[in-house]
Amino acid sequence: MNHESAWYEIRLHGRLDPRWAAWFDGMTLRTHADGTTVLHGPLADQAALHGLLQRLRDLGLPLLSVDRVDLDQPQRKQS
Amino acid sequence: MAGLLVETKLFRPRTRPGLVDRPRLDERLLRKDGTGLTLVSAPAGFGKTTLVSEWASDGAAWVSLEESDQDPVAFWTYVLTALDRAAPGVADDALTVLQSGPAPIETILASVLNELSVLPGEIDLVLDDYHLADSLEISRGMTYLLDHLPPQLHLLISTRADPALPLARLRARGELVEVRAADLRFTLEEVSSYFTGMGLDADAIATLEERTEGWIAALGLAALSLRGRSDATGFINDFAGDDRYIVDYLVDEVLDREPAQVRRFLLETSIVDRLTGSLCDAVTGQPGGRAMLESLERQNLFVVPLDDRRQWYRYHHLFADVLRARLLAERGDITDLHRRAAKWYDDAGDTVAAVHHAVAAGDVDHAADLVELAVPALRRDRQEATIRRWLDDIPEDVVRRRPVLAIGFVGALMASNEFPGVEQRLQDIERQLAGPADELVVVDRSELERLPSAIETYRAALDLIAGHPPGTIEHAAVALDLAIPGDDLTIAAASALSALASWAGGDIESAHRGYAAAAAGLERAGHISDVLGCSVTLADLEMTQGRLRQAEATLERALSLAGDGIRGASDMYVGLSRIAWERNDLDAATDYLRRAEELGAASDLPQNPYRWRLAMARIREAEGHLDSALNLLDAAITVYVGDFSPNVRPLTAVRARLLIRQGDLSAAQEWADSVPDELSYLHEYEHITAARLMMAQRKDAVPLLERLRAAAEDRTGSLIEILVLQALAGRDPAALERALTLAEPEGYVRVFVAEGEPMLTMLQRLRPASAYVRRLLDAARQPTRVSTPQTLLDPLSDRELDVLRLLTSELDGPSIARELVVSLNTVRTHTKHIYTKLGVNNRRAAIRRAHQLGLLTR
Repeated sequence: MNHESAWYEIRLHGRLDPRWAAWFDGMTLRTHADGTTVLHGPLADQAALHGLLQRLRDLGLPLLSVDRVDLDQPQRKQS
Repeated sequence: MAGLLVETKLFRPRTRPGLVDRPRLDERLLRKDGTGLTLVSAPAGFGKTTLVSEWASDGAAWVSLEESDQDPVAFWTYVLTALDRAAPGVADDALTVLQSGPAPIETILASVLNELSVLPGEIDLVLDDYHLADSLEISRGMTYLLDHLPPQLHLLISTRADPALPLARLRARGELVEVRAADLRFTLEEVSSYFTGMGLDADAIATLEERTEGWIAALGLAALSLRGRSDATGFINDFAGDDRYIVDYLVDEVLDREPAQVRRFLLETSIVDRLTGSLCDAVTGQPGGRAMLESLERQNLFVVPLDDRRQWYRYHHLFADVLRARLLAERGDITDLHRRAAKWYDDAGDTVAAVHHAVAAGDVDHAADLVELAVPALRRDRQEATIRRWLDDIPEDVVRRRPVLAIGFVGALMASNEFPGVEQRLQDIERQLAGPADELVVVDRSELERLPSAIETYRAALDLIAGHPPGTIEHAAVALDLAIPGDDLTIAAASALSALASWAGGDIESAHRGYAAAAAGLERAGHISDVLGCSVTLADLEMTQGRLRQAEATLERALSLAGDGIRGASDMYVGLSRIAWERNDLDAATDYLRRAEELGAASDLPQNPYRWRLAMARIREAEGHLDSALNLLDAAITVYVGDFSPNVRPLTAVRARLLIRQGDLSAAQEWADSVPDELSYLHEYEHITAARLMMAQRKDAVPLLERLRAAAEDRTGSLIEILVLQALAGRDPAALERALTLAEPEGYVRVFVAEGEPMLTMLQRLRPASAYVRRLLDAARQPTRVSTPQTLLDPLSDRELDVLRLLTSELDGPSIARELVVSLNTVRTHTKHIYTKLGVNNRRAAIRRAHQLGLLTR
């Protein structure tokens, strides 16, 4: 499995305003009716992923799931 | 490094009065005894720091950690400094060793733990924001600390993420007290008590509790939002009905009600980690920063004071993140703010922060300028780890245009033991230098000239590390050839590297020449402490060459360069003590050690703690106090720190000689079994020791001694000793005759008289008329020097003397208690009395004082 650049979907509990996109290095933010928010976007490598997770932790945002997504097949893959 | 400490990191935050009492948590945290670790682990905004600040006693050792503390030298410097302030003297030795070069963290911590384990009092050590520093190397040291934690030290870690420490093990042993998010959340009762007096009914309180889930940061913000609001219930209902990220929602509420000027101030200054008036003025471009900070503090609006003088503040971490995110969203481009912060920090001399903001501003070239100029000073202060971290911030293509910066990074990589790729970088720099000069970016043109020589010096070092001394000598020669006059540090480095390589190969003459050149270069460059370091080695080589008087002159000259106040001065006295010992002037030898001791740890090079003990052991042995000498040697072994020099006189071999003298031949034989057979200068001392053992075992040592003598012809110091042994083992007057001829001009005494009656008889027979021999005989027949009797006003009791003797061993507090069959508390009481009577406040000082007073020689 390639551990370098990949797209990720990170799901949080709570609704995060889209203006937070810049804080999360240009990930797109989508809020869902079930009261969760999904961050979606490319991350350079594992270090970038962990950096992003730390930012979420520092805000006290409860993490629900982290998924790596394949761009060719838009459905989610378990990571 | 001491000058570079950020004082506010060692400041225990003041807690605000009037907050909610939390007896259920206090009760749990009160259990300090028998607890290995208290862990407060919860996300931001759960009131960790407030709680912990109440837990910590007055005078607790407190460290607020930051990301830069992932560097072990920085981390342990702060932790040890905090401990040393809480209990003066406990970390003296450890800090000396830590700051003077690479040493295993276990060695450094062992010396602190040794002190702490007999500490009469107790210390609370708080590591706040531990998650910022948590890293593999920090975990290693912390795990060691936890495994050896003395009961006097109460360790508390406050963190947002569980640390990489053996928590399960501590938990299983019942040695872990944990306070987690679930414990920290405000209960309904606590929420109610928090909002007392704000006119909220029970429903409103319940709604707040439910919506915030007891999250203290959110409750605090809610309270701020409620201030001066007429329709509290309306606000609470709106709040409860919105599922937005709670802190975001509430910060909006608070910010919207602040004047535009305050709002702007909060957002713009959120980019810096620590706030002070003039920095805020620089970043915002507006005056009045200091007054604004004080007003924010009064209103309890996001800021936390970092000192008692209203100078430095920081935003609460959680709000800082929210403010920064909002700033980014509203402004998009915030490079101008970072650029102004970089300038302020640069003017204030804080290069680390200046570089951080220059990089954030996208000014990598400016950042590169700053780094390039900062390298020499950081290297002098052994802060290479800081330089190393910048390598990740500055893009390679910027480095590739900047040869001076590139060589600075090479130095930092070498100091961090990252050797792969260094040769490639050196070749890149050579290519840059060969290319068109106008494509190079250099802040300080004069630095450019020294690069060719510096490159070859690093190659010399690479070869030494790779175990290829001939390559080192070759590259060092080229480096010296290329060196421009006046580049004294490069000349010194190349000379020292060449000397080390020669020494490892047994070429003492070349090694001596190299070190002499290195010392001269360092002296011209004004690095006096390093001159003293070189002088220790020079004197050592001179003694091996049998030039006692020259060794004495070397040490005295080094001392005269800077006097007693400089690091390394103490090492000079220890060296002079050894020369006095060779001349059998034990009073002078003892006196030098006393002077070394009086200078204190700040004058020690990292090797001095073991060298001092070794020197004292030799004196005690000469006085016939063999047990005391063995004790000191064992202590020397526990504090031994190597350097790059070959370990030509291993302490275990010195110890074996003492065992032989004590008649414990089987223990000495056990040591001898591990000595390599191959004869080389590096093992000469061990082989002479082995020959001594054979003589004690009545085996024929003559053939071995003859081989050693043939190999040692150009090392007069070694030769004299070998000849003395040959004379005894082979009843060989010619050997003794030669030894006397070599030894007389330098005034050697100890090497003869230490051999006792058989040697004295031989001397008497051989040259009864020689004045030198008469001097030797007189020295030997002097009654054994009587140590100064105890002259304390309030003498130590017998029991205290027992404890004192054990304090000199490597035993920790509990082991000493076991040895004496008493409780640890009893040991601590005795220790307290001993410290008071000796007028000291730590174990190390007590031991040295005891040695001076001759309390340990019975």
